[in-house]
Amino acid sequence: MKSKLSGFAVPYVVWMALVVVIPILIMAVYSVTTADFDLTGDNFTRMGDYVSVFTRSFNLAIIATLVCLLIGYPMAYLMAKEGPGFQRVAMALIMLPMWMNFLLRTYSWMSILENNGLLNRLFARIGLIDLVNTIGLALAADPSQYVPITHFQMIGTSGAVVLGMVYNYLPFMILPIYSVIVKLDHSLLEAARDLGSSNVTVFRRVILPLSLPGVLSGVTMVFVPSVSTFAISRLLGGGTHMMLGDLIEQQFLGGAYDPHLGAAISMVMMVIVVVCMVVMNHFGEGEEQAVML
Amino acid sequence: MKKQRRTGSRLLMGLVFTFLYAPILLLIIFSFNAGESNTVWHGFSLHWYRELFHNRIIMESVYTTLLVSVLSTIIATVIGTFAAIGLYSLRRRLRSSLLTVNNIPMMNADIVTGVSLCLFFAAFFQGWRAFARWFNGVQDVLELPLRLTLGFTTLLIAHLVFNIPYVILNVAPKLRQMDKNLVDAAQDLGCTWMQAFRKVILPEIKPGIVSGALIAFTMSIDDFVISYFTAGSATSTLAMTIYGMTKKRITPEINAISTLLFVTVLVLLLVNNVREARQERQDQRRTAPRPASAPVKSVRNHRSLKRFGALAAAAALLVGLVALGGSTRSQRVVNVCSWGEYIDTELIDIFEERTGIRVNYQTAESNEAMYSLLMSGGGDYDVITPSDYMIAQLIEEDMLAELNYDNIPNFAKIGEQFKNLPYDPENKYTVPYAWGTVGIIYDRNKLAEEPASWSVLYDDANAGDVLLINNSRDAYGIALKHLGYSVNTINEDEIRKAHQLVADAMSRGVFQGKVMDEVFQKMEGGNAAIATYYAGDYLSMVDNQADYVDLGFVVPEEGSNWFVDAMCVLKDTPHMSEAEEWINFMASTEASLRNMDYIWYASPNTEALEQYPTYYEELYEEPLDQEVYEIMAAPAEVLERCEMYVSLPPRIRTLYKDLWITLGI
Repeated sequence: MKSKLSGFAVPYVVWMALVVVIPILIMAVYSVTTADFDLTGDNFTRMGDYVSVFTRSFNLAIIATLVCLLIGYPMAYLMAKEGPGFQRVAMALIMLPMWMNFLLRTYSWMSILENNGLLNRLFARIGLIDLVNTIGLALAADPSQYVPITHFQMIGTSGAVVLGMVYNYLPFMILPIYSVIVKLDHSLLEAARDLGSSNVTVFRRVILPLSLPGVLSGVTMVFVPSVSTFAISRLLGGGTHMMLGDLIEQQFLGGAYDPHLGAAISMVMMVIVVVCMVVMNHFGEGEEQAVML
Repeated sequence: MKKQRRTGSRLLMGLVFTFLYAPILLLIIFSFNAGESNTVWHGFSLHWYRELFHNRIIMESVYTTLLVSVLSTIIATVIGTFAAIGLYSLRRRLRSSLLTVNNIPMMNADIVTGVSLCLFFAAFFQGWRAFARWFNGVQDVLELPLRLTLGFTTLLIAHLVFNIPYVILNVAPKLRQMDKNLVDAAQDLGCTWMQAFRKVILPEIKPGIVSGALIAFTMSIDDFVISYFTAGSATSTLAMTIYGMTKKRITPEINAISTLLFVTVLVLLLVNNVREARQERQDQRRTAPRPASAPVKSVRNHRSLKRFGALAAAAALLVGLVALGGSTRSQRVVNVCSWGEYIDTELIDIFEERTGIRVNYQTAESNEAMYSLLMSGGGDYDVITPSDYMIAQLIEEDMLAELNYDNIPNFAKIGEQFKNLPYDPENKYTVPYAWGTVGIIYDRNKLAEEPASWSVLYDDANAGDVLLINNSRDAYGIALKHLGYSVNTINEDEIRKAHQLVADAMSRGVFQGKVMDEVFQKMEGGNAAIATYYAGDYLSMVDNQADYVDLGFVVPEEGSNWFVDAMCVLKDTPHMSEAEEWINFMASTEASLRNMDYIWYASPNTEALEQYPTYYEELYEEPLDQEVYEIMAAPAEVLERCEMYVSLPPRIRTLYKDLWITLGI
């Protein structure tokens, strides 16, 4: 009987070998070869030119992850303390935007942040821009040199890119943390209180350590897509804030066709993700039960 | 005190929800806008909803999205469930290492999965080509197609790649919780293993299967990156269509479709929530002692009825989707690739009506992007419309098919000055489509005087207000012209100097961004002061500019590039005769006139070019402004200042590519 059931695994193992393992092997081969498939290490050394892309990607992704954590943790914590009816509605409200494609939501931000977009129009209407100009003129050392602003530059800045990441990936931070906190054993909290802990101590010594697996899984789920995004940086960053994802996309479907370099960058990215995972698993004790829903 | 904290926490949650929903709300509000703007309200209208149902591109991509999500969810759920059961009957060691492999597509960044699959498919297509060539050689009963491209099948496979792991991940814990002896007990009591599976295992793991299927569906709907790398050019999910549109003008139909999607999901969630709440209440009641066992049966009957209903609904949806797809597919097809805003789409309808050939009209962003798509097996094209220098490169690499000009009688109407140009000296491969010049587009309200020189592009006075054209050939070509060099120089120093000029301006923050077709919405909405783009597109921007914008166009004194875009056919296309019919139609005087009036690019058709002012006057009952005509069809004294691009040697192409990519970093 056992052998019969294990037979079900065979087709899937073949499938995995074909579409998961072999593609990665092909990518690995591409990353160490030239266009004529001669062995080379050039693709990796050439990456030295793109150090600034790497650092920018990591900086922005780390900032976005931190902001998500700062908003997401309190949010998840407060949600878990509400009644079950409220929780259900709140959960649904957080999931809901995910069923609209993330490009739609990002696109909406474009019309908000444009130089002539909703926010700038609002600022002009309430006189904020005039106010800034008046103050600027008064403070300027040489008033004749002062160039008045007509708008606040928001689109095309790295702030806009971070905003886009936070906006799109915030649910990925809230959900795992929430699902861990909501399952916390309440008798533990009561025990801590009975033993004389203040609320702050309960949070710091009991809730926080116990919710760490959720935090770790949230951090990974926000960091990985952030560091590899290409649509968000393109739409909100105006194409001048190139990130790793853009760099890879350029090599395959964009203006600079070089799949070998693209494969090499992808390999590096894969290694980074694996390292992240290993570190996370080391802290989070294996089980990935906190993954959504 | 407690109450105060409660309001505080509610306030914070309210803020987060406002942040999450404000942009969505805006999308919804502006879907009812009478005007085309996403920022200025022109009054209430349902116009865009009506338009939506006539927009073939959006409707088809919605259909593709739903079909691929539903199909991949169903297949992934079945395969995933069986695979999970299979994996759980393996030895622990083997199982855990296989589960690690299973986790790879979930762990990896989407782009890495997408790229690896893209390379895998490209390698497979190459292998297939070799096989098909050999196979067609040894027998002639069956003719295998030589050229395979990315499409719906590869898209579906890609979705399965990331969906199955989610199903397994959700089913596995339920299997772990299940008592292993149950199955043995069932068999001891005389069940076959199939019965044991149906009656024992399945009910135990059902919650896992359901949540797995739900997550798989969510992932499919939300995916963009993996689809983008594996769907190719002809198949497009809604996300890909939107991404394509964000590059030029996003029509408010997108707002309308998002609103519809949002409302659908909202209703589904509400129904589900109400049902869950009711269930919970029922469960609470059920914990009270139940007098008789009779109602239990009725509940069960009711459940199975409901399950049947859900199954039937799913089946009906699937059949409907497939039928819808089937009805829109006819036998003769031609896949056309061109640029954004580069055809009067009514011409496609006219052509389809007259010939019965279905046109798959696709757009690429730039010559370089189209080339990349072709090389990675993603470009499912028959007819392409590249520019001069790219045509030369494609001919050089033996990628174009020779045309049979007997099938294209309208070629005779093409002006002699557009035939036998350097990119195709014997004119064996191409039929010119449109021509024009590159110049400066500027907003008169933001710039005091007409810029005479390209120098305004690199001037700190315009910091943050200049848009850099997002392709290396044009961006460096302009810089080369400004420095007084030829656009076709192969002197590396000159190219490096041009690059330095652009790079310096970029590091000083002169450029607001790198754009191709995004230039439309940027300039029309008054979001930038200066851009470089093509003359025809300037005229179509003037048509659409907001009332507080006043655009002008100039070909600077240093000179510029003049270009010809020509239609050509890719080698090994299975639709050669359809392709030639399309080319012949587009070269006709009638089509050229209509097209000129819509895209504002000059046609190489001599008759059309001469007749256009009269055509315009008849149509609009006012004479055509000579200035407009001269911007469209640049007069000789402007063309004298301009150079045509020629194909650069590979060494210089690599230099362009390497320099260009360092620009953004």
